[in-house]
Amino acid sequence: MEELTNIRQAREGDPEAFRALFDGHRQQVFALAYRYLRNRTDAEDVLQETFIKAYNGLPGYDPAKGLNFAAWLNRICVNASIDAMRRSKVRETGPLGPEEAAAMSAPSHSSDPERSARSAEIREKIDQALARLTPTQRMVFTLRHYQEYTTREIAQALQSSEGSVKKHLFRAVGLLRKHLRKYVVEDGYDL
Amino acid sequence: MTCKKARELMVLDHYGEAGAEDKARFDEHLGKCPACAAERSETRRLFALIDAHAAEDAPTPDWEKVWRGVRTGIAGERPTRQPALAPWRRWPFAGPALALVLVAGILIGRFGLAPAPRPAVSAAAAPSNGGAPNGIRPAFAAYLEDLKPILLDYAHYVPGEKAEGRVVVDESALRTLMLQNVLLKRKLAEKDPAAADLLDDLDLILKEIVNRGPNDTNSPAEIRDLIEKRDVLFKMEILKKT
Repeated sequence: MEELTNIRQAREGDPEAFRALFDGHRQQVFALAYRYLRNRTDAEDVLQETFIKAYNGLPGYDPAKGLNFAAWLNRICVNASIDAMRRSKVRETGPLGPEEAAAMSAPSHSSDPERSARSAEIREKIDQALARLTPTQRMVFTLRHYQEYTTREIAQALQSSEGSVKKHLFRAVGLLRKHLRKYVVEDGYDL
Repeated sequence: MTCKKARELMVLDHYGEAGAEDKARFDEHLGKCPACAAERSETRRLFALIDAHAAEDAPTPDWEKVWRGVRTGIAGERPTRQPALAPWRRWPFAGPALALVLVAGILIGRFGLAPAPRPAVSAAAAPSNGGAPNGIRPAFAAYLEDLKPILLDYAHYVPGEKAEGRVVVDESALRTLMLQNVLLKRKLAEKDPAAADLLDDLDLILKEIVNRGPNDTNSPAEIRDLIEKRDVLFKMEILKKT
């Protein structure tokens, strides 16, 4: 109820009401963008862009259509993230930023240094394999595997059909299997 | 069940999205097909590998810095919505659009795909055309013109409007436009990223139009929203002139 009031007031141009919406949803939007882009600065930019677009799009947002505000923001974030990834393709294949490199080399739960190094190597290979997917394949896989969206919810977020989402998902998994086969076989991961 | 269908189901099954009937047929297929059983095993191990090496949690951003950026972005603005054009201004463009598709195809064939002649002057002395390959710009502009009436029709869609008032473009024409999109993108991708991005958006929209079923009443509104959210018409106007 409070959120609806904030939406109405923000639509009238009240920045404080919009700030309340920002505070309530910033974490969820940032987590989605970061999971997809794997870069704090890019994810911050997408967070900012998402809320600016949301503000400008408020007159067109109608909660009565059944899409809640969080899902609507996620949809904007998804599109902004795909655009950001397209813009930063060159940077993406470049060296990691200090924060990402630190996260990559952070010790795992194991105290065995050799195992930690192996784990960091595999994590890097997974990131590289994800980076080799098309922006849409990557977003579909991110939303399904990490964010636990259903294919129907992804179709809504991407404004696409469920069949198309499934095709992207199958291709993404097929490509990941191809790029990571060496590690799947060598490390003998199984359920 | 075919192996192709089984490969798709092994992904859906992992995420708990295979229906009960499909799952039963899938399990039966695995019992008879060693290749698919091996592939399922490999897929499960892939997911185990990815889960075992999940990336670290997202860092905490500088919320205040981001909010200041948002404030700057919306400063002095009040949310507004562009008024839709009146229905009488919607153009019945199907015929001219198809004719233009043909013209654009000829232009692409003539200027876009033919090998570029060797330059008679040095690159330094050659006039700039804004970074786009010589000759492809007219084809790109013509392509945007072809698409405009179709996109305008969707951009001004109002839920509940009658189908007979809408522009009808048959599927083969849409597929021709998609093919032209691919050819143009191939030519423009390296030298004009903005045009290539727009072509990506247009490709997505065309696919949505092609894929919509005859009784799918939600698609026109979704396509309209897609056009609006990505500022496609605005970008088309800008890029057509550059």
